[in-house]
Amino acid sequence: MAIDPNAETRTDARGTRADVKRDREVELYVEGADWETVVDAVEDETLTVNMGPQHPSTHGVLRLVLELDGEVVNKLTPIIGYLHTGIEKSAEFRPWVQGTTFVTRMDYLAPLFNEAAYSMGVEKLLDIEVPERAQAARVILLEFNRIASHLVWLATGGMELGSTTMMVFGFREREHILDLFESQSGLRMNHAYIRPGGLAQDVTDDFVQRCETLLELLPRKIAEYEDLLLRNPIWNDRLRDVGHIDAQTCYDYGITGPLLRAAGVPWDLRKSNPYSGYEQYDFDIPTESAGDCFARFLVRIEEMRQSMRIIRQALDTLPGGPVMVADKRIAWPSQQSLGPDGIGNDPEYIRHIMGESMEALINHFKLVTQGFTVPAGQVYVPIESPRGELGYAMTSTGTNKPYRVHVRDPSFVNLQAADVMSRGHMVSDVVVVVASLDPVMGGVDR
Amino acid sequence: MSELYVPSPTHGLTGGSVSLQDIEARVLGAFPEVTADVVRDELTLHVAPELLVEVMTFCRDDEQLSCELLADLAGIHWPAGDHIIERQASTTGWPEYRVSREHGAIEVNYILRSVTRNHWFRLSVATPDDAPALPSVTGIYKTANFHEREVYDFFGVEFTGHPDLTRILMPDDWLGHPHRKDYPLGGVEVDYKNDKFIPPPNQRDLREVVD
Repeated sequence: MAIDPNAETRTDARGTRADVKRDREVELYVEGADWETVVDAVEDETLTVNMGPQHPSTHGVLRLVLELDGEVVNKLTPIIGYLHTGIEKSAEFRPWVQGTTFVTRMDYLAPLFNEAAYSMGVEKLLDIEVPERAQAARVILLEFNRIASHLVWLATGGMELGSTTMMVFGFREREHILDLFESQSGLRMNHAYIRPGGLAQDVTDDFVQRCETLLELLPRKIAEYEDLLLRNPIWNDRLRDVGHIDAQTCYDYGITGPLLRAAGVPWDLRKSNPYSGYEQYDFDIPTESAGDCFARFLVRIEEMRQSMRIIRQALDTLPGGPVMVADKRIAWPSQQSLGPDGIGNDPEYIRHIMGESMEALINHFKLVTQGFTVPAGQVYVPIESPRGELGYAMTSTGTNKPYRVHVRDPSFVNLQAADVMSRGHMVSDVVVVVASLDPVMGGVDR
Repeated sequence: MSELYVPSPTHGLTGGSVSLQDIEARVLGAFPEVTADVVRDELTLHVAPELLVEVMTFCRDDEQLSCELLADLAGIHWPAGDHIIERQASTTGWPEYRVSREHGAIEVNYILRSVTRNHWFRLSVATPDDAPALPSVTGIYKTANFHEREVYDFFGVEFTGHPDLTRILMPDDWLGHPHRKDYPLGGVEVDYKNDKFIPPPNQRDLREVVD
């Protein structure tokens, strides 16, 4: 097992200590020999261990290369790219509106945030204003999505620390939120529901009722999670004083979102750069000063409560009207009747394009086959996703397809700090650190 | 790693805002070579590659600008020639757009953000696409590490001074830089069972010209 590949006389796999050349760096291969011989052959105690890409605690296909001194992490190198799907490149070959179906698959735990940011980028390039009803419905859906994302974080984080009860609870409540999304968009995830110009369809009649039911259910459940975890000695021991990162380091590593807020900086794009009507709603930015994993837990729990406050206000003031811009060059009419399954054709509209107006038919045909064109220019649209600043840098050259769509995914940026956060901690704390970062590999690798 | 930071009440939206005009005047006052434009309420500062590190350090350390975050870093490839096709404005009514370039370029955009003063702006740097090279800004913002590796991976830009400039999203042995516009779509050899090549997608037939 202990073999120096540079050694002039390569001995067999069970070579003894004397066979290993001492003056060169020793490279070790574990090939089923006695552990004692490995330990004897190592001069310094640093051991490089590969963790992932297939590992239950790495949230997908994240690979971590750990340099260990005994049980203590000296260095952590995240290796990514296993889930790279070339979404940014693919989007360059599809009409603008089809981009929503791509970007929603990036950060699959917060799909609506991707759609919203992408659509807002297109809208900024087009210089159009989305109807108020669509804006308010977007806010409601986004905040529910934030809660769902935090619930998954709580569930998977709990599972990694051995709290399978938390996992079942978290996924159970998330399923209710996904049911709401399904009733609106037809899909639990990857909705492509928020489109440039507004929403794909108007929210259904029982939308408000479903939201009310959830708003009644979720506070009780979140109180339950706190009962379960807040004074749980294992949860406290594992999370407190682990993965500490201060605000200046956050700045250095470009970290935003709950991690920055847990380090004491009340920075939230919904407050500082309001979009989609967030300025109308009254909510707080939860912050903690400790900057450790427990602080992030507290921040995320409180964010779920603040999200519900926003949803409450948005529901109370949900305006009527269309959910899509009236410009026929960008979208077809939004107030179309639907079949009982939520899809289907509107007889009124079919009669209009098939029987009444040739121009309407041409327009409809071109809109469906070629899409609309977008004025040239470039924009950067940041929004506050559950993981931090989600930015879309989009470039148009005036055609019907994006010239370049670049996504600044918060998971991608935050993951770099896993190194500084886990240095000096035990291997078991690496699991906690990665969980507290809440990376979604679909977003990291894109 | 930085020294321990104690959060102060001056952080988070309390530094006093600065208008885009003031930012522009501030940077242009210190660096007259920089040019600026404001489109769609977004300030873009065009910086020469050799000035990049200096300008970015100034933006981070200056009291008025205090850009704590490098929010984003991304490349765009603008190949030489008449690649962007003119579009007729007859039916859609949008302004027409035509670009013809003598030299291809890779444009790298840096989004700088101030948390304390709540503003952001863009630094735009261009480098020739046949031998793209830029100074690394990892010494100013550590977050640039992954971003620069991504731009290297996708566009082939050599960031001089980067501690570990390797591919990040594509496999290590990948040939070519896939986000360049001259990179072929399809025809890449893969280990499929029955076919060694992916057929080029027919979405390319959907022309960039609309009308």
